[in-house]
Amino acid sequence: MKIFWLALTLLVVIVAAAVFGPGFSAWGPEDMDWSAIQAPPSAGHWFGTDLVGRDLFVRTMYGARVSLAVALIAICVSLCIGVPWGIIAGYSGGMTDQIMMRVVDALYSLPLILIVILLVVVFGRNQYLLFAALGAFFWLDIARIVRGQTLSIRNSAFIDAAKTMGASPGRIILRHILPNVSGPVIVYATLAIPGVILAESFISFLGLGVQEPDTSWGVLVADGVQTMESSPWLIIYPAATLGITVWACNTLGDQLRDMIDKQHAIQIKEAR
Amino acid sequence: MSGYLAERSLFALITLLFVVTAVFFLLRLAPGGPFDGERALPPEIEANLKAVYHLDAPLHHQYIRYLGRLVQGDLGPSFRQKDFSVNDLIRLGLPTSLRLGLSALVVAVALGMVIGIAAARQPGSAADILLMAVNNISLAIPTIIVAPLLVLVFAVTLSWLPAGGIGSVQHFVLPVTALALPYTAAIARLIRGSMVEAQTQPHITTARAKGLNETRIILRHTLPLAALPVISFLGPTAAGLVTGSVVVEQIFDLPGIGRYFVQGALARDYTLVMGVVVVYSLAILTFNLLVDLTYGWLDPRLRVG
Amino acid sequence: MTLFGGPFRWMWYLSGTLLIGWAVTLAVVPAARASSDQAQTLHLANAGEPQTLDPHRYNLRLEETLLNDLFLGLTTFNPAGQIVPGAAMRWQTSKDGLTWTFELRRDLKWSDGKALTANDFVYSFRRLLDPKTAASLAYFMYMLDNAPAVNRGELPPSALGVAADGPYRLILTLSRPYPYLAERLLYPTAFPVPAHQIDAVGDAWVKPENWVSNGAYTLQAWQPNAFVHLRANPEFISPVPIRNVRYHPVVNEQSAYNRFRNKELHAIGSFPAGELETARRQYPDSLRMSDLLSMMYLVFNTRHPPFNDVRVRQALSLAVDQHTLTEKVLRSGNRPAHSFAPTLIEGYTPAKIPHFNQPYAQRITRAKQLLAQAGFDQNNPLKLVLRHVAGIEGKKVNLAVLGMWRQIGVQGVLQQAELRNHFADLRQGNFQVAWAGWVGENNPEHYLTLLKSDIGNVNYGRFTNEEFDNHIRAAQREADLIKRNRQLHIAEAAVVHHYPVIPLYTVTVRRLVSPKLKGWVENGRDIHPSRYLSWQDQLALNHNVNVRLSR
Repeated sequence: MKIFWLALTLLVVIVAAAVFGPGFSAWGPEDMDWSAIQAPPSAGHWFGTDLVGRDLFVRTMYGARVSLAVALIAICVSLCIGVPWGIIAGYSGGMTDQIMMRVVDALYSLPLILIVILLVVVFGRNQYLLFAALGAFFWLDIARIVRGQTLSIRNSAFIDAAKTMGASPGRIILRHILPNVSGPVIVYATLAIPGVILAESFISFLGLGVQEPDTSWGVLVADGVQTMESSPWLIIYPAATLGITVWACNTLGDQLRDMIDKQHAIQIKEAR
Repeated sequence: MSGYLAERSLFALITLLFVVTAVFFLLRLAPGGPFDGERALPPEIEANLKAVYHLDAPLHHQYIRYLGRLVQGDLGPSFRQKDFSVNDLIRLGLPTSLRLGLSALVVAVALGMVIGIAAARQPGSAADILLMAVNNISLAIPTIIVAPLLVLVFAVTLSWLPAGGIGSVQHFVLPVTALALPYTAAIARLIRGSMVEAQTQPHITTARAKGLNETRIILRHTLPLAALPVISFLGPTAAGLVTGSVVVEQIFDLPGIGRYFVQGALARDYTLVMGVVVVYSLAILTFNLLVDLTYGWLDPRLRVG
Repeated sequence: MTLFGGPFRWMWYLSGTLLIGWAVTLAVVPAARASSDQAQTLHLANAGEPQTLDPHRYNLRLEETLLNDLFLGLTTFNPAGQIVPGAAMRWQTSKDGLTWTFELRRDLKWSDGKALTANDFVYSFRRLLDPKTAASLAYFMYMLDNAPAVNRGELPPSALGVAADGPYRLILTLSRPYPYLAERLLYPTAFPVPAHQIDAVGDAWVKPENWVSNGAYTLQAWQPNAFVHLRANPEFISPVPIRNVRYHPVVNEQSAYNRFRNKELHAIGSFPAGELETARRQYPDSLRMSDLLSMMYLVFNTRHPPFNDVRVRQALSLAVDQHTLTEKVLRSGNRPAHSFAPTLIEGYTPAKIPHFNQPYAQRITRAKQLLAQAGFDQNNPLKLVLRHVAGIEGKKVNLAVLGMWRQIGVQGVLQQAELRNHFADLRQGNFQVAWAGWVGENNPEHYLTLLKSDIGNVNYGRFTNEEFDNHIRAAQREADLIKRNRQLHIAEAAVVHHYPVIPLYTVTVRRLVSPKLKGWVENGRDIHPSRYLSWQDQLALNHNVNVRLSR
């Protein structure tokens, strides 16, 4: 449990720093300090400066905003596709379920990141496209989990009761199934955040990420790696913030999953 | 069993056709042609090039032509590597990619299982916490950082291993390590989780109560249960290793087909990119088919008649 | 012991089996054959993977490097990169500059022992311009009589202005004077290809097993993305000291640097700029810096408002401080440029941009005035997209330029693209302001004609100026080199007031070359044919010879 609070604290600190941190610095994200180009950390520049003299602390925090936004948007997109997909498959059962889950299986086995790269190459470096494409990649997990949950409660007593009372399928899904799948969905959404962040860094490494002067953790890390001997601070700080965030999300997700598993009874929410 | 196999194979073929079609039209939508080189081409030369590569034919003709050739196993000429056909390039690049990918898969599964089982033996012990901590750290650092660090330490500083290229088994040690690391960690986590869970199962508790020895319990009862999630994780692992190998081949200058993918995508070498995607998809689909069969064989509940 | 011992012993069997399986996989899956004579092979980094080794189909500078080892043209380079006789012993030009007569060496042979004659050159020039060859650089030889018509398929290749007069005399007829022909013949487009072999095996002649060429080396093996292995040509006009050369395609500078330091490569083309000081300290014997005949510049799309307004172009030009770029941002030895033709060119005085020696503060004030006159101020700032080639240098330079423009109130964003796509978009005029570069010849015309209105799409900014065009046309009618260059200077002086481009700097190549290598001379073309290199250590050479004899 201690580890849960540690992870949560670190995550909150990073999010808070991303939101408020740049306000405490004298530098803007695009200001160049011509007198301190590629300078190591100092009182004036807490994390040092980059190749054209921009403050790395401010840029790391702006990068955090973009990376976290990418993660959140991608997760939202994946929920928008995955939850309905899973519920419909699980609730309908039979042939519909078979076909829908075969599609998921098929996509699961493809190197989808490579397709994302093709999309970026073909349609140009559009941030929103990148978010959506990543989201379209991560919905598979969500769909599988939601379907599993739906299947397990589809034939339970309270659903049958609702049916006999004449509730429409839409109403049953909204009022009874959706609340019951939300727990596991939150867990897997948390666990998917690191995946999105790492995928973004992968795409940035290939030079297909966010465009300058905007930045993201992926861009900072991919750039920093290229100068890690001559100016190690350019890799250490962005990599550390990225690593801590990924670790914290993984840990939080694991702990939440354990908690939900312990509760066993999924029907808790039904009591409301 | 044969019906199941036929159904799965058919489905794999449909997936493949879908991938080929999607990639074919996606690449044709891209602005700029494959002959936009660094130097300018006068229009007459560009027309010559397009005629040679049939790029002046209508799109659906090109598509049907490509499919027809594909069925015969001909992936066409490469636009960018003018002296090689795509078949040549894949024949030359695939061995390196296979070595890299299969080695990483074996290392990840073997090492992941060892770490996972060691950690699961006494949940909450110091060993468990240490192993899982190392594990979680390696999950949190992207390959694009780990790989250059490995080079810096083991090649540049210690001079134990080559920094890049091919030529000997030593050349593969660092790339395989970099590629396998995150999947080792993921498999270790998975196996630890399912072992811990399996140990609480009623029939295992019963077995233990009956005084069966621990090795027997693990071999006969716990491991088969715990191995199932790992086997179903192999499909996504294979897809992930393919993706990861694109970066690893890049960092270590390995002449695999992942390099062709990036080079081809950036240079709009249509036939080369399609060839690589077809080969990747084919490899992964075949692998998944094998995994499905193994799974069905291991888990009697899924055994299909 | 409790962790791995006892009841968990079986685990070791399992993982042992799997690891043995891995070893078997490594052994069974065939990898590329390692060269048997690693020790005396020269290992060189090349900037990337060649797309072809057919000299008539090549496109890239990194292919030129290889082709210069594999072929010998009419003219060639000495170790210092200067033009010297190659396959031709001497040549003479007619008074009007339209007829060039080349006297070939008598001892020329192909690597299969067949004699090489003037007819091979006739065949090769016709093949280059034959539309069936689809040579993308065919236009390099468009000065030959009837060349464009032949290349368009309007005339048969036999109509081309090239003829053999006996086995050892080659006559090139031009449609207009071209005093730089000896230099243009250095390019692989003018290399001879083996007609007899192409007739025999067709396009497959470029495969290692069919390879025939006339250079110092022949193609031994080529594994894409891994290496191109060259072996000494026994029929070459003079024996070479290093008999095996292996080119490794290394795109990433950091990777090249690592592999040089780990002694896997003898010479690399570039390394990260940030490591320059370290390299100076740790590898003083290896560091080779040289200025490249090249120009890095920013180009305005003069068809795209407001960049059609000369005041806007002048303002942006005034605000760019070339010295800050080279001294503070790049810090890797590049020279600031104030003219479009590089100062490195011999026998030519470039015309500099008018404000090159004004104090920077004064330039900024003037730039703001000009922008205000053009209708831009704080409420209506000039917004632009600056395009550049992906990579650390492009990012640094263009970010710094944006920073300089911010000082005059311009709000810019960057857009990067991979090299090919970047230049594709530039040629299509799909940009506002863009970073561009031209690595060229040792003559001003090769650079200045990029601004001529009818040059085609390499005039990325679609700049048109009649006065300039007329001066260039006058120069191109001139067969005398000195008069031609004087006329070109007049043209450049006329164009600088229109600010079609902002010259930034000339490239400085940072190479690391093993001190074991002898005969490496820095030069403005950054060309280092392997046949001029040898091992410092005589022992290595002897060993090399022994290996050869023992076969």
